[in-house]
Amino acid sequence: MQDMLRILTRRNFTANKNRNLIAVLAIMLCTTLFTSITTIGIGTAQSITLTFQIQKLSKSDGDFRFMDASQFETMRQAEWIAEAGLRMPVGYLSNARLHNIEFDVLDETQAELTFCMPSHGKTPKQANEIVASDKALRDLGAEPQIGGEVTITFSAHGKTYTMPMIISGWYEAYNDQLSVMWSAPAFRDANPDIFQYTYPEDHELAGTYWSDILAKNKTNLHDKMNDLACLLEDPTGSLQKPEHLSAVVNTVTNPTKDNDTLAMIAILLLLFLFCGYLLIYNIFDIAVMQEIRRFGLYRTIGMSRKQVKSLMNRQTLWLSCIGIPFGLLAGFLIGKATIPQIMDYFDTEYQNIAVDVSPSPLIFLGGSLLSALTIFISTRKPIKIAANTPPIEAFRYVESRAGKRASRKSCAFTSLARLAWSNLGRNKRRSAFIVTSLTLCIVLFNCVGTAASSMDIEKQTSYMMRTDFAIVNIVSTNNTKGFSHRSESLKEQTIADIAAQSGVTDGSVIYKNTAEDINITYGFPNAFLDETVVRDDNDLTFCFDEAYRCFGLGSDGRPLCNVYGMEEVAIARMDLREGELDAHTLYEEMENGKGVLVGVNVNRIDMSLNEIFDIVDIGETITVYRDGEPIMELPVLAKAAINGDDIEIGYTCNGPNEVGGDGLFLYMPANLYVSLYDEPSIYKYAFNVEETYQADMSAYLDNYREETDPDINYLSSKAARDSAIKFRDMIRFVGGLVGAIFGIAGVLNLTNTIITSILIRRHEFATMQSIGMTNKQLTKMMLLEGLCYAAGSCIVSLAVATALNLTLVKGILSSMWTFTFRFTLMPAIATSIILLAISCIIPVLTLRHFYKGSIVEQLRVVQ
Amino acid sequence: MESILKATNLKKYYGNGETTVKALDGVNLEIERGKFTAIIGTSGSGKSTLLNMLGGLDSPTEGSIQIGDTELAKLNNEQATLFRRKQIGFIFQNYNLIPVLTVWENIIFPLSLDGKKPDRQFIMQVVNMLGLENKLDTLPNNLSGGQQQRVAIARALASKPSIILADEPTGNLDSKTSYDVINLLKMTGAQFHQTIVMITHNPEIAQMADHIIRIEDGRIVA
Repeated sequence: MQDMLRILTRRNFTANKNRNLIAVLAIMLCTTLFTSITTIGIGTAQSITLTFQIQKLSKSDGDFRFMDASQFETMRQAEWIAEAGLRMPVGYLSNARLHNIEFDVLDETQAELTFCMPSHGKTPKQANEIVASDKALRDLGAEPQIGGEVTITFSAHGKTYTMPMIISGWYEAYNDQLSVMWSAPAFRDANPDIFQYTYPEDHELAGTYWSDILAKNKTNLHDKMNDLACLLEDPTGSLQKPEHLSAVVNTVTNPTKDNDTLAMIAILLLLFLFCGYLLIYNIFDIAVMQEIRRFGLYRTIGMSRKQVKSLMNRQTLWLSCIGIPFGLLAGFLIGKATIPQIMDYFDTEYQNIAVDVSPSPLIFLGGSLLSALTIFISTRKPIKIAANTPPIEAFRYVESRAGKRASRKSCAFTSLARLAWSNLGRNKRRSAFIVTSLTLCIVLFNCVGTAASSMDIEKQTSYMMRTDFAIVNIVSTNNTKGFSHRSESLKEQTIADIAAQSGVTDGSVIYKNTAEDINITYGFPNAFLDETVVRDDNDLTFCFDEAYRCFGLGSDGRPLCNVYGMEEVAIARMDLREGELDAHTLYEEMENGKGVLVGVNVNRIDMSLNEIFDIVDIGETITVYRDGEPIMELPVLAKAAINGDDIEIGYTCNGPNEVGGDGLFLYMPANLYVSLYDEPSIYKYAFNVEETYQADMSAYLDNYREETDPDINYLSSKAARDSAIKFRDMIRFVGGLVGAIFGIAGVLNLTNTIITSILIRRHEFATMQSIGMTNKQLTKMMLLEGLCYAAGSCIVSLAVATALNLTLVKGILSSMWTFTFRFTLMPAIATSIILLAISCIIPVLTLRHFYKGSIVEQLRVVQ
Repeated sequence: MESILKATNLKKYYGNGETTVKALDGVNLEIERGKFTAIIGTSGSGKSTLLNMLGGLDSPTEGSIQIGDTELAKLNNEQATLFRRKQIGFIFQNYNLIPVLTVWENIIFPLSLDGKKPDRQFIMQVVNMLGLENKLDTLPNNLSGGQQQRVAIARALASKPSIILADEPTGNLDSKTSYDVINLLKMTGAQFHQTIVMITHNPEIAQMADHIIRIEDGRIVA
């Protein structure tokens, strides 16, 4: 019997070419949907992670720093560590001109984890061999050529070394600002004086062992790393925190799980599963209905339910085996083509954008599993119907019954429209599926369109930028860093060069305190908790208050605050909200030492002052301390609502987090700032440019970065606006793509239903033609049927879209500051028009293709 | 008597060469206006093919069919459909009612296709005669075979065609119902002065007609 079932399955399968084609298309479409979404999701996440990893120059799970040789050996033996690289920093090359070049000794594991493996040539083996980026080699005056020579100069342990090295390999620079040049451990062995371990005494890095690691299991990674570092430093296990060593988790590779994002992914997944279900269920329901007489025959001649199910399951499996691989391929290609569009959005925001879309098994496995699950769920009921229909009933089954109703009120006149409408009621479930399927498409398009039209470009632009241009150090545009050190200050020459350009107006340098300015602190009325933490990267101590706001502390244990010094023109650009609102008067008073302007973060949704960060009131006094001694009393004269541009630059606000923490943000005149701080650091130069010179300025700054000062980066209001527009385009593109896939699913459903309708009603059509229905009238009737589906979907969609827009969409968009909700039904109307047009075309084409031959032939088909 | 339908040397061949099937092979036929004619013959004798030709549903390989002043073979598909709608009423063995339309809607359907307002008085007369007055809002699947065939007859009569072509109208009915249906068909034909051409297997049913034509192997034998 098994053989016979196999034969029957095979012959049934080959006999149903039309059904197979549609079912394979449906499965393929469903798999395409899942795979493209999985590819886009995983690919975008990977690309963003890779971009951040490149910015951080590490794709490890974390790293240990400042170890000696024996600690390093013990560390790499740890049971939970899968891979550990060797990195021995030597120092920055002092003969580099514009590019920052760090010279290290690495092993291959470390080179792989930190993007330094040569793409040309070999890894270094000899003591005089190096690998570096093309950019680094050119900066040192050498061509990236295997066997070429390059001279390097660096200092270690107070001694300067100059050495000729041989290029054993090179790689294309990932990072515009910084590259690593590396040599093999043989270099360490040949130069033992450079690698003396003196770190605990003098904090000399040369001689220390660092290691980027990959963990076998990332659970509790922070604790594992901390415990290991403590044990390395004190094997007795008495330390709670390491004193000299540092163990840092790479938060780029191991981001904190965000429950909201996970919930959103789960909802989207369910929506896609539902879309796939609608499509595949309908296809198989129709297939079973078309073949139900055959199933009846099988049952009549003795086939059991189980055998009918087995027959159907086998056919489903075969269809899946054809549809899924094609869907995986199509989905992957669509996803791969989409990701660069998405990553393009981040291009303005982050440097060194990388796109990583590899055909990961996870993508294909995920796409296949989701498709298989959907197919399994969707085919259960049709298969059950096929197996459970009693033999005689199956034989008699005709779908053309008008449902369970025995009678209805007759119309005085029978129109084609009424006939078409009545035909929809033959299988209400299927009609509902088609309407739901098309509705999903229209509603999704409308939600995406509403989100895109609610994108508040001006709000975003004005939050990012108060001037036409702002120049900062590259760290300010590095997502993993931020301006926090004096060494990151803008050069006077750079500012002078830019200020001298034509069209520059309203320029102001802006000073900002750094992690080194620990002798200037501030006192203000606020209760602090005893709990403190020390940051790994800058050794600053942070304390907290009862609202769990954190404050960076200076040498006297008082808050450092985030303090800015600026010209009047810059103060005048700020959004003054309370106290003295006239910028000129305020500036004059501040210049005369009568007080200070306090910046308060805004609640971005309504741009009101955020109470959480509103710590001091107008009139309250802030005391300035130098080396623990009070030197000045500054009453709060005014409060300003501060945006990203006031904090650091546009998108990134990391710098202040690393210095003053959550508060206060103090803004004072430049001359007062300069008189307070020992080494005032300029973190930004903000200026406007006359309209006609703006393009020239962008070109000038691009060239200046390339040729003169690679340490700077800039943001322009045009770039900020472009970024917002790109974000809007990304929403449109990705939402449109998903909506289009939903749309194709709906149209495929509609097509399949119309084809089926034509195939099973050929006899009825022939009858109608025999009593006088013309071809034109038949076409019109089918066209009206298609239109009824589409019109029904449009009406339902407009109602659902309106309801969703005013509730869910409005709620979600209103909770995100980048949006200002704008009600629109235009996308739904536009999509409806397209669907209405398609629904007119499909019946005409399918009728032409599937209803051929003379009336007599059609009458004989069923008779 | 005046003839309403005239077929001359009607041939319908399928295939070619040795495999040619001669469904009709030179049929000559003349039917008088207002008469009830029965065409009988065995399965495959060509009687359904002949009826389809007479109704303009199929076109002959050779020969002509004249209904009134119209040469049917010269009409294209759409013209034949329009002619059929106005001049011919069809009754099928398996009724062929539209399942989603009520009895009333089925009856007036051909008129609706023509954009004509139904002659309610006339149709009600037909309905009453066929005993369907209580079933007008019923959907076809809830009617017995005999009732469905009566609806088909009413539909065929509704547009007042000059000819009614019936393809084994009693084929699916028991004998009592068959006699009832034929009697009704005869009665309405006489009442509304219509010409009826009916195909049947059943010689006894055929005996109820004014004329009987026997067809075998695509030729008229009696």
